[in-house]
Amino acid sequence: MLYENVIVISLVLATLGAAAAVRYPIASVFAVVIALLLPLMVPISEYLIYVAFIVVIGFTNIASLFIPKNTQIRGADISLVALIALATVYVLYTKDLALILTAFILASVPTYVLIMISDVRANVDVAIKYITFMVFATILFIIGAVMLVYSSYIKNDVLYTLSFVILITGLCLEVGCAPLHEWVPDVFTAGDPIPISIIASIAKIVPFVAALKIILLTSSTAILPKLLFYTAVISVISMFVGNIGALTAKELSRVLAYSTVANMGYILAAFSAISYPEILPLAFAGIFMQLLVNAFGKIGFFASIKGAGAATVSTYILALSFIGLPPLLGFWSKLFILLAVANAGYLWVALALVANSAISIPYYLRLARELGKPWVLNSVNTVVLFTVLMMLITILPPYWILDPIRSLVLKGIFRGVFT
Amino acid sequence: MNEVLMFLMLAVPVFCSIPIALAWIYKPEAKWARKLPYLSVFGLFISLLIALYFLTQVPDGTKAIIYWLPDYNINFVFIFDYLSKYMGTLTALIAFLIGVYGLEYMHEDYRLGWYWFFFNLFTASMLMVVYSDNLLSLLIGWEGLGLASWALIGHWFRDDDELSFVGIHGRKVFINYWWPPSIGGWRAISTIRVGDMPMFFAVAAIYALTGTLDISQIPWHELFHKLGTLGTLILMICFLLGPLTKSAQVPFSEWLMTAMTGPTTVSALLHSATMVAAGTYVFMRITWYIRPWELHLAHAAHGFLGVEYIYIFMLFIGLISSLYGAFVAAGCWERKVLLAASTMSSLGLMFAATATSYWLGIIGIYVGFWYLMTHAFAKATLFLVAGHLIHVTHTRFSVGDLKLASKLKIACIITIIATLCLSGIPPLTAYWVKSAMDEVMHGVEHYLGYLPLIMLIITSTVYSGFLAKFLSMNFIKGERPHHEHIHGGGYMASAYTIMCIMLIVLLYRIAAAAEPVLGEFIEVGYKHSSFIIGLLVLVAYLIGLFKPTVKALSKIGTFLSDRMYMPFLNDLIVPAVGWFGAKIADYSNRGIDWFCHTGIPDFFNNISIKIRSIQTGYLRTYIKIVTGIVLVIFLIFSFVRW
Repeated sequence: MLYENVIVISLVLATLGAAAAVRYPIASVFAVVIALLLPLMVPISEYLIYVAFIVVIGFTNIASLFIPKNTQIRGADISLVALIALATVYVLYTKDLALILTAFILASVPTYVLIMISDVRANVDVAIKYITFMVFATILFIIGAVMLVYSSYIKNDVLYTLSFVILITGLCLEVGCAPLHEWVPDVFTAGDPIPISIIASIAKIVPFVAALKIILLTSSTAILPKLLFYTAVISVISMFVGNIGALTAKELSRVLAYSTVANMGYILAAFSAISYPEILPLAFAGIFMQLLVNAFGKIGFFASIKGAGAATVSTYILALSFIGLPPLLGFWSKLFILLAVANAGYLWVALALVANSAISIPYYLRLARELGKPWVLNSVNTVVLFTVLMMLITILPPYWILDPIRSLVLKGIFRGVFT
Repeated sequence: MNEVLMFLMLAVPVFCSIPIALAWIYKPEAKWARKLPYLSVFGLFISLLIALYFLTQVPDGTKAIIYWLPDYNINFVFIFDYLSKYMGTLTALIAFLIGVYGLEYMHEDYRLGWYWFFFNLFTASMLMVVYSDNLLSLLIGWEGLGLASWALIGHWFRDDDELSFVGIHGRKVFINYWWPPSIGGWRAISTIRVGDMPMFFAVAAIYALTGTLDISQIPWHELFHKLGTLGTLILMICFLLGPLTKSAQVPFSEWLMTAMTGPTTVSALLHSATMVAAGTYVFMRITWYIRPWELHLAHAAHGFLGVEYIYIFMLFIGLISSLYGAFVAAGCWERKVLLAASTMSSLGLMFAATATSYWLGIIGIYVGFWYLMTHAFAKATLFLVAGHLIHVTHTRFSVGDLKLASKLKIACIITIIATLCLSGIPPLTAYWVKSAMDEVMHGVEHYLGYLPLIMLIITSTVYSGFLAKFLSMNFIKGERPHHEHIHGGGYMASAYTIMCIMLIVLLYRIAAAAEPVLGEFIEVGYKHSSFIIGLLVLVAYLIGLFKPTVKALSKIGTFLSDRMYMPFLNDLIVPAVGWFGAKIADYSNRGIDWFCHTGIPDFFNNISIKIRSIQTGYLRTYIKIVTGIVLVIFLIFSFVRW
């Protein structure tokens, strides 16, 4: 059975579950669980590691949605999360431009609804700000992607450059890289922490993977290295703005917003290395793991904010993982990005990454200290505990992540035909 | 066999002093503990016997090797040659006699364990330095000397008895011009350290450049040739800084003056006969094996200019120190400080005499060495007498008249003999040695002019004068002492009597021309010029005897007894440099502090607030910013690709 069919079945299931949830909310839960477990039947074994992590993130997001007593669209909200997860699972696999763009939109639009939900009033004004920027970003991204493919067909370098710039700008606006990050602090502070955590975690993955695929599938080796200088500059700006801005931010949600800006900078930095085929596996592993760190960490922290605190040990482990302390997940992701970037020759980017890790220490520890409180068994602490366990999986050094990704890349997931 | 004996010679004194050291820790001042010093002195006696065995039974040039790091060519190598045999016996004998003296002198002391342990450790270290051929084992002994010196000078560390001070308590000449034992110990160790550090580096450099540390094996000439003039200068100056500081030459002489805060036995052993002589001894030893006279003939051809500069330097440092020491001693009121200054003066003459060997051959070393031996016995005797006088008159200043002399007959007679023998009055011991010294200074006239000989004659004259002054101010024309505790004194008198007799033994050896070089001494002594200088010395002696103080010259005398304000170097200038360094460190620390705790936080704070100020909250502002940036980016890239 083709993988596409599996995905379609899961999509249909999730949608039907959402429909049934109007009457029987529990139906949606069953439907979503099955819908998310189906994609684990991967066409090639190396793909499993990616799918597994995405599914786990999806389930964690769904679990965190049960922390508030009720939401405006209980039942449908978890289906929306499932849709985003399915899009994320599929985007890495496909080679078809239309399907990549579809996945992009499928990952983006549910967030427009999700941002409004909360356990009290619906946050419409936050949604307006958010949707304005997201639409702008989606437009830029799609135009850029299409133009990129076209200009690679006709082999026009000028057009290729322009479309590359448009694509990357769209990407930055979508995920919140400085200097286009203005929506992030306001949205993150004003919205309800739980839906914000969904935006901040799983919704960030598709833009990066999509951009990566489109660039690599259309690139010519001559021009790409020069263009990547632009992403390097943007990424360094984003790192510094995010980290320094977070140092004096007052509300904890705002600190997490700036932290997101910084993390998007780290991920974009790894793009500098993608023009070198031998470094590409390392770079992609770094990108993927940093997305994981960001996802689990933000879910954990936002859940703590929602629950007015979580166990002190958990908050400190989350903070230390973000800072990059071995042997936590955050260390390995930054290490891979650092190695990729340094080997690609962008030493100044590598140094900026290290400096930024140091600059980020005060505010992460401040987060950990202010959110920490004695352990008590509730839904918040359960979710946070799970995210902490995910941060701890790299106590076994992550060859078991790096090797599958390396063979995925070697098998041609970013180029040519892929079976 | 020799190795075993060597080991015993070094180990036995230390082991014999461990009982009293331990006893004093656990049961200080117990009656039975006060008997343990006899064991320590017995250990010194064993060392003396072994030294005598080496002197008489072992042929010249034998080596005893205790292997340590054979792969690196670093072992404990002991050599029995002319210098080490005589020096070793001298050290062991003097140490033993002073040990006996110390049995009575230190009998009532409150820290016997400390005293005897370091006394014996000193003896073992000195013997190690004397017999070592390997520079590393020599340095081990060298360090032991420094440690024992610090420990023994600062023996009365509580600074509770003004009798042990140097200087007049409360007197200030801009700085405090009195020094208690604790400061004495510190000055000694800090000055010696300044010399030791370059010496260590020089030894390391020698090892790195030649691969061996045995003085008799080092290829000195190749080494100097490889290093060139500047390299030789640097290497040898660094090496010789050790001996120069240890032998208290200018400008490192202050520590020896304030070392008189230690017990008199310590002054006698360390600071007259042996430890300070270790510096000159090492200089003699390396000169013996460097054989610079061979280089002197070759220097024009092979560029050994550095060696010539070194020996000129050592010659004049020695002569300047001897002049300085002699004049300072002439003005001193304190018994021991007078003797200390005179020791420094004699050491200078030893350096100078040895340095002349560059031009004149090995005779220079012999002259220096025989003067070392004569001086050692004589000065140790005088120190022991001074100690006895301090015990009796209960003051460290030169007081004592004929009445005192009649009560301390033996001390008085011994002082007369010792001073006569040391000053160079014919036909006693030092006359022949000093004549030989005049002869070598005369010998370098061709190369260096008349200055060395003139300096030597002036020094000898003043030297003789203050020796007589010492005799006069303590036994003839001094003040009436306020206290007179004349009790016992049997051991003490025996010790310095035997010490003085050694001077006669030396005179006998010289007179009998027991060695070829002594024959040369006799020959030189019969010259007219030597006799005239001898008469000059005699006149100076008589003047010092009958007119020890001259009121009209008291201002000059104060200047001299203030040691020509040399203490300012140790107590004002060097600390000022140190405090300046400390102040720089303080400012740097404050700078780093400000940077880390104020500078960086404030900087990041400001930037952070500026970044956050973009968030005005109004959507229209954000849209303007974002659209603006996007358009700017497009513009830039359009131009770039153009």
